[in-house]
Amino acid sequence: MMIRLSGIRRTYVRPGGEAVRALDEVSMDIDRGEMVALVGASGSGKSTLMNIIGLLDQPDAGSYHLDGRDVADLDLELQAQLRNEKIGFVFQAFHLLPRVSALENVELPLLYSRRAAIEGLGLAALKAVGLADRARHTPGELSGGQQQRVAIARALVNDPDLLLADEPTGNLDAQAAQEIMEIFRGLNAAGRTIVIVTHDSGVAAHCTRVARLDSGRLVSDGVGPRPVAASQENS
Amino acid sequence: MRTLRIVKDCMRSLSRFKLRTGFMMVGPLIGVAALSFVVALGGAAVNKLLATVQQLFGASSIVVSSGGGFFMGGPRDATRLTIDDIEAVVRDVPGIDTWDPMVVVPDASVRRGDRNCLVRLMGQSERAERAWSRGAERGRFIDATDVAGSARVALIGETAARALFAEDYPDGQDIQIGSVPFRVVGILERFGTDIHGMDRDNEIVIPVTTAMRRVMNVDSIRAAKLLVTEPADVEAVTREVSLALRARHRLAQGQPDDFTVINSVAVRQMVGRIERVVFLYIPLVTATSLLAALAVAASLMLASVNERTAEIGLRRAVGARPADIRLQFLLETAATTLAGGIAGVILGGLVTALVAARISLSARLGPGAIALGLALSLLTGLLAGVTPARRAALLRPSDALR
Repeated sequence: MMIRLSGIRRTYVRPGGEAVRALDEVSMDIDRGEMVALVGASGSGKSTLMNIIGLLDQPDAGSYHLDGRDVADLDLELQAQLRNEKIGFVFQAFHLLPRVSALENVELPLLYSRRAAIEGLGLAALKAVGLADRARHTPGELSGGQQQRVAIARALVNDPDLLLADEPTGNLDAQAAQEIMEIFRGLNAAGRTIVIVTHDSGVAAHCTRVARLDSGRLVSDGVGPRPVAASQENS
Repeated sequence: MRTLRIVKDCMRSLSRFKLRTGFMMVGPLIGVAALSFVVALGGAAVNKLLATVQQLFGASSIVVSSGGGFFMGGPRDATRLTIDDIEAVVRDVPGIDTWDPMVVVPDASVRRGDRNCLVRLMGQSERAERAWSRGAERGRFIDATDVAGSARVALIGETAARALFAEDYPDGQDIQIGSVPFRVVGILERFGTDIHGMDRDNEIVIPVTTAMRRVMNVDSIRAAKLLVTEPADVEAVTREVSLALRARHRLAQGQPDDFTVINSVAVRQMVGRIERVVFLYIPLVTATSLLAALAVAASLMLASVNERTAEIGLRRAVGARPADIRLQFLLETAATTLAGGIAGVILGGLVTALVAARISLSARLGPGAIALGLALSLLTGLLAGVTPARRAALLRPSDALR
């Protein structure tokens, strides 16, 4: 089991002092090779859950095991290292550094890598998303779809096992969204575990499993519209 | 390896925010430029002062001037100091090696044929050569016979010589000071400018007796210089000289001196005070401008952290540790102010060279001033970067990315 969440609770305190329970007793397991859609209305807690899975946030209660290790035992430094080596992030707003070339954006995670040899990895990742010829372009010179592909290349550059995407097609037109989802499917077919936060049923339709959250609770979790890929069984 | 990559990335970041980097550089640039300028120029001025003072005063001098009040200016009710006064003092007070009386006409007009110029005219005795450590560069100095006979002979400084004589050798030539003809017997040793910026080579020295009788028509002198035999006795001899002069002038107790005495010890103390001002207080005041630079750099970096919250979140998401973020912002601030400091040192050096050339002072930026400027600009950045870097490092990635 790659991801094991049990009894996860996360409460925010609004500036007014009002406590908001973003996640309430959420338990779920995600296997290696799955492609999971986390769906729900906005405010349902799906992004909070993704942040916790991605070690960007910590639960107030409950336990989270990633690859068999209890995340609560990891200090900030080890968490950063795990994010760097095992997890790739894709965001709705791309979060590319402006005025920096596509290649340098893709190479950003390598900056914080323990590896010594990083030559060529950035370009290889760009090639994987079909943008090797745009390496010198800055984000401002790229279309939305291209920018998101650069962001995916950045997520892939350290060859992570797990990809986390938060509304990856939210800012894209239908055509670009379709291309992005094709890329995710290809990556999943190649064995990568993918978790996508979305409220778009069209995106969920690409996934092998759909988990629905409502007001911080997991209300349904089942096999998705897409047939389970063969690569899923090697967990 | 990893740290090196982060440092390189940092330098790239600086070029992404050119405007902010530019504004942050201005503070340390101006502060360090001003600092290097005052340190270099002040240092040169003090060195010049020391050299002049050494030449004028040495370790064993006493200068008696007519009139009470203060050294260099102040009220003088001038006319009571005479050569007889000094002769009597020297006779009564033991421990005086030699002495020289002096009268001065600040702006004497000198003529030779159709050339003329204004010089500082000094009447001195044959002992001036030793008393003031300044003799003849060429020709001869005035001698005892000249003084005894009020001879119309003159030693002429280089600047005045250039003004009055084209190519011909001035020795033995005649010049006219006021309406009195003089024969040039020598060229004064070069001196250069003194601490007031006055050209001491635009001077003419004639026998003091000649000056008093034939040129100025006075019977009192402006000042006299006394050299004591033992430098260690300067203070004691000075006291004796004062007492002897007061007795000769019949000054009652409580009445102020009608003369001013200054000696090597007092001059050294004065130089020490000036040194403290030039090397400590002025640089200290100038360095406070770096506090303003610090405040500017800190607030600009805080604004930058707020503006780049998403970038910070992203960097955390892709594997930056809080320490990496802290390092990045600290480095960005320090590198910027250091760059400003480097530019400031260069600017300060240029301005120093320009000003020094204008006032003919040999000032240049020493390694000490350069090191101080760079160290302070770096320190400014490090201090300014602490709070922004801390704030950036403490951001929770999930909040930063929202």
